[in-house]
Amino acid sequence: MYRYDEFDHAFVAERVAQFRDQVERRLSGELAEDAFKPLRLMNGVYLQLHAYMLRIAIPYGTLNSRQMRMLAHVARKYDRGYGHFTTRQNIQFNWPRLSDTPDILADLATVEMHAIQTSGNCIRNVTADHFAGAAADEVADPRPYAEILRQWSSVHPEFSFLPRKFKIAVTGAERDRAAIQVHDIGLHLKKNDQGEIGFAVYVGGGQGRTPMIAKKIRDFLPEEDLLSYTTAIMRVYNLHGRRDNKYKARIKILVHETGAEELARQVEVEFAELKNTELKLPDADIQAIATYFAPPALEPRAEGWANLAQWKKADADFARWVHQNVQPHKHPDYGMVTISLKPIGGIPGDATDAQMEAVADLAEEYAFDEIRVSHEQNLILPHVALADLEAVYRGLAAAGLATANAGLITDIIACPGLDYCALANARSIPVAQEISERFGDPARQAEIGELKIKISGCINACGHHHVGHIGLLGVEKKGAELYQITLGGSGDEHTSIGEIIGRGFEPEKVTDAVEAIVDTYLGLRLDPSETFLAAYRRVGPQPFKDALYGSAAEAA
Amino acid sequence: MTRLWKETGFVTDDPWVIETEEVKAEGNQRPLLDLEAVIARADESNDVGLGVLLKPSDDVSRLEPYLYRLELIAVSFPAFNDGRGFSQASLLRERLGFANEIRAVGDVLIDQIPLMIRCGIDSFAVSNATALKRLEEGRLPGIAEHYQPTVKAAEKTQSYSWRRTAKPAA
Repeated sequence: MYRYDEFDHAFVAERVAQFRDQVERRLSGELAEDAFKPLRLMNGVYLQLHAYMLRIAIPYGTLNSRQMRMLAHVARKYDRGYGHFTTRQNIQFNWPRLSDTPDILADLATVEMHAIQTSGNCIRNVTADHFAGAAADEVADPRPYAEILRQWSSVHPEFSFLPRKFKIAVTGAERDRAAIQVHDIGLHLKKNDQGEIGFAVYVGGGQGRTPMIAKKIRDFLPEEDLLSYTTAIMRVYNLHGRRDNKYKARIKILVHETGAEELARQVEVEFAELKNTELKLPDADIQAIATYFAPPALEPRAEGWANLAQWKKADADFARWVHQNVQPHKHPDYGMVTISLKPIGGIPGDATDAQMEAVADLAEEYAFDEIRVSHEQNLILPHVALADLEAVYRGLAAAGLATANAGLITDIIACPGLDYCALANARSIPVAQEISERFGDPARQAEIGELKIKISGCINACGHHHVGHIGLLGVEKKGAELYQITLGGSGDEHTSIGEIIGRGFEPEKVTDAVEAIVDTYLGLRLDPSETFLAAYRRVGPQPFKDALYGSAAEAA
Repeated sequence: MTRLWKETGFVTDDPWVIETEEVKAEGNQRPLLDLEAVIARADESNDVGLGVLLKPSDDVSRLEPYLYRLELIAVSFPAFNDGRGFSQASLLRERLGFANEIRAVGDVLIDQIPLMIRCGIDSFAVSNATALKRLEEGRLPGIAEHYQPTVKAAEKTQSYSWRRTAKPAA
């Protein structure tokens, strides 16, 4: 993974000093809250319902053990012993004191971490495929490009006060695990006919109250033009994005109102001017950054095949976990392990300090010191020898981290909701917990198969409900919480926005509604290999509407 | 009250005036015209040394034919979070090669000034009390390490092409 050099260390140290000064000015009253707000936000500090919240950047979701242990330390020392991994591959702490935040940032700086631009109307943490560098289907590792973008976007003087926040995601495989089509800019790494690396560039995707799928404005952008082309997009957006209404300020609205073709033309005009400037990336620099992401030396470990077969035979729980949470690695003797942060009845994405320590220990011992955070709020050990899976499983099980549900109905994404968030209209966590309990039986989950439920506590859609196979949106109606259900959303290479199925459900009825949807699917699927999403796309909403709202007698 | 600051210090003899109903340029003072007015003035006269006050929505490329006749371009920040002026200034310097003064007016705050400087703005009409105090004390909260080249001259570093530093190379 990327390692700071002196320049990076000096930058982060100065940034911490700068923020310490800003916090002191705020605490002394010299700086008013409204002027402090954009400054604290650009350092990851939010003011939530009950307390400040600190969101720490985990660039493209990549961590080492030392960094994970530091997060455990922050949880213990400055918070209440836990943290919450987010859908932007970051972590947030819900109970820090404002006066402690400069010290937290100083502690983080010792392990090359920070909270820069995890909020605010600027370029946010760049995300990437959580299986980067390990996935068998990868064309190229997206992380070097995400790192170059991370550096270039850090305290960018021209683009720190954009109309609204700006999110960039990079994927290096045809199978899109980074949801690039629901990002402000989505970059799909690919090779052209000459075998050169470049990007298909998507612009203007996003969720929130106006969900939109991004438009492809470039089929192949040579890698050397990454920064000049991105600058061109940012400049067009900074100058022309709407600032009259914050709900219409994202670039997706500009793309929609301007038209993708016209916007692409404006970007190309700007790009033509920028193409051969100092922003052009020299190949040597790309290679130098890529070197940091060189795969670990994976020795042949063929003995793992036989071991694995034996262990699976001996322990059904282990077998289920391997089946569900381990995916093929590009090296046949290795696997990619998903550590579920979705225990049955638990809070999606939460991890205690002890769990973070346990993951750090396992990563160090068995996984080449690499950990990833997925946008689905799980952790990943990207390189684990099959021969070590049993030991990793035992270690995870001891820490309460061996739930075998990756990709299943209880692997739910949920935002913090009304339990924490100042913007929320409804709670998300208790709904996720109840659904998780209802479908917790392993056999039942396996029978249902792949099914992504995503829950947002308000229209800002931090829980990504628009791209949930089943999406739940909490709204407030006459002072009470109500959950609107969408079906058929997806955040992969065939991105679709879920359709609202009908009127919403009260909190105590929403789990029954989800169950009715699931039972309907089980009844109509062609065979067990037809996933919920495939079945929905085949039959459409009607059977589900009938099941939910069918006859007056059923409704009563 | 508003004071004018440059990297060399406060300026006391600035002639430029943003005209309003109550305030008009008088004596040696010179008015800042809006974009339409400055273009009209330039078209119908041979005047040089003009000053223009841009709105954030103004297209700076319209000034291209008249740049040699402009002594000052003011970009406005109606609120600190309206960042269009950063792009306007960058374009004026980088694309159009404007070499005379570019001034930030409006909600000019201390934490934004280092960013404005990097985008090519070189004078600042400052009203905010904290900003004035800090500037008097010579305490600009900038960071010397830059991860991107901008129009403001900065040293290349030994490492990646996109990096610059405000500190001279050792």
